[in-house]
Amino acid sequence: MDELDETQMKNQVESLKYQHQITREKTSVTIPELVKWVEETMTEDPFLNSELMKDNPWVETGKCVVL
Amino acid sequence: MGEMEQLRKEAESLKDEITAARKAVNDASLQDTVSGTAVVGRVQLKTRKTLRGHLAKIYAMHWSTDSKLCVSASQDGKLIVWDSHTTNKVNAIPLKSSWVMTCAYAPSGNMVACGGLDNMCSIYNLKAKDGNVKVMRELAAHTGYLSCCRFLSDSEIITSSGDCTCVLWDIETGTQKTVFAGHLGDCMSLAVSPDFKTFISGACDSTAKLWDIREGQCRQTFGGHESDINAIAFFPNGNAVITGSDDATCKLYDLRADQELITYQDSSIMCGVTSIAPSLSGRLILAGYDDFNCNIWDSLKSERVGVLAGHDNRVSCIGVTADGMACCTGSWDSFLKIWN
Repeated sequence: MDELDETQMKNQVESLKYQHQITREKTSVTIPELVKWVEETMTEDPFLNSELMKDNPWVETGKCVVL
Repeated sequence: MGEMEQLRKEAESLKDEITAARKAVNDASLQDTVSGTAVVGRVQLKTRKTLRGHLAKIYAMHWSTDSKLCVSASQDGKLIVWDSHTTNKVNAIPLKSSWVMTCAYAPSGNMVACGGLDNMCSIYNLKAKDGNVKVMRELAAHTGYLSCCRFLSDSEIITSSGDCTCVLWDIETGTQKTVFAGHLGDCMSLAVSPDFKTFISGACDSTAKLWDIREGQCRQTFGGHESDINAIAFFPNGNAVITGSDDATCKLYDLRADQELITYQDSSIMCGVTSIAPSLSGRLILAGYDDFNCNIWDSLKSERVGVLAGHDNRVSCIGVTADGMACCTGSWDSFLKIWN
C-alpha cells in the first residue's frame, strides 16, 4: 500500500491540490441545516411514524380464505 | 530519489493544509446542536417475510426502485429476483461464476448486474422479448475482484474493485468511460448520490472518497476509521455520508463542511460492520454486523435504539426501500428477511 511509484505520487499530489481547493462551509451552518432536514422528514419516515405503516404491503390483511 | 522525497513532502504539506482548513470551519458539533433533542423511542421492527431459496451464503442484495422487487446474489451461483410481497421468485438466474460478491438493480427495473472474483461486471436484461434472462454485457477490465456495482441508468454503471479503482462503464459498448484511481487499498463499496452527479467509495485504506462523476476527480477524502471500510451510503439528503468499518464503528461525515461529525460505537460491539443503510429521513441508521445482528442507531444522538435479531449467521447486506417502508437483510445463513 505504501509502495507508490513516481507517477502515482504525482497523481496523489495533484489530487490533494484539487481536494484542498474545495469550498468548506461552517459546521455552525451545515449541522443545524442537516438536523432540520432530518426532523422535517421524520414525519414521512414509516419507521418513525406508525400512521404511515397502517397499510403494510408485507402483512396479510383480512381473514383466511377457504380455497 | 530527490523527486520522490519532494513529492512526499508536498503531499504531507497538503494533507496538513486540508486538516487546518477543516479545523477552521469546525465551529459547532453535532452533539451540542442536538443536546436538547430527545433520543427516538425504541424501534422494534418485525420480520414480515423470509425469502428462502438460496443454497449458500448471500453476499449482496439491492432493492428495485419500485420498493417491491429485489435482487439477491449468493455463492450458490444464482441471482434471484424476488417479489418481496409474495416471496415468489420472479427470476432465478444461473451465473457463469458462482463467486459473486455484489448485485444491483437498475433504476428502470430493466436490468440487474453482478460480479465478484471473476473480476467482471455482468449485465442481465430482465425484459428480453423472448422472456429469457440472458447476459447482455460482460464488463471486463478490472484486475481485481468486483466488490460493488451501481447503475446510473440503463446505459451507465459504476463498479468498485479489489484493484483499488472504481470505473464508470458505457454498458452499450462495454467500455470504460472513466477510471477513478486514488484509493491505496481494495475498494469495498460504493454508493451514488441522490442527484447522480457524484458517488462515494469506501476502501481497505480506511478512507472514503467522494468522486465527481463527470470530472473524474476525487473531491474529498474522509479518514478516521482504523480499518477497512466495508459499507458506505449517502445520507438521504445527499449532504452527508455514512460508513461502516471492520473497526466495529460507523461514522457520519458532513460533505459541506468536509469532516467527520460523529461515530456510532459501543464498547460491547467488537465485530466488524458489513453493511449500512439509512431510513428514509436518515434519523435511523441500520447497520449489519459480523455477530449476526443489525443495530439500529439514532443518527443524531448516536445511541442504539433497536436491534434486528433473527439471522443465524453474519448479516452481509442490508437495504431500505426507496419509499422507506421496509428494510431487507441478507445473511450467510442463506436467507433474506424483510422487516418493518
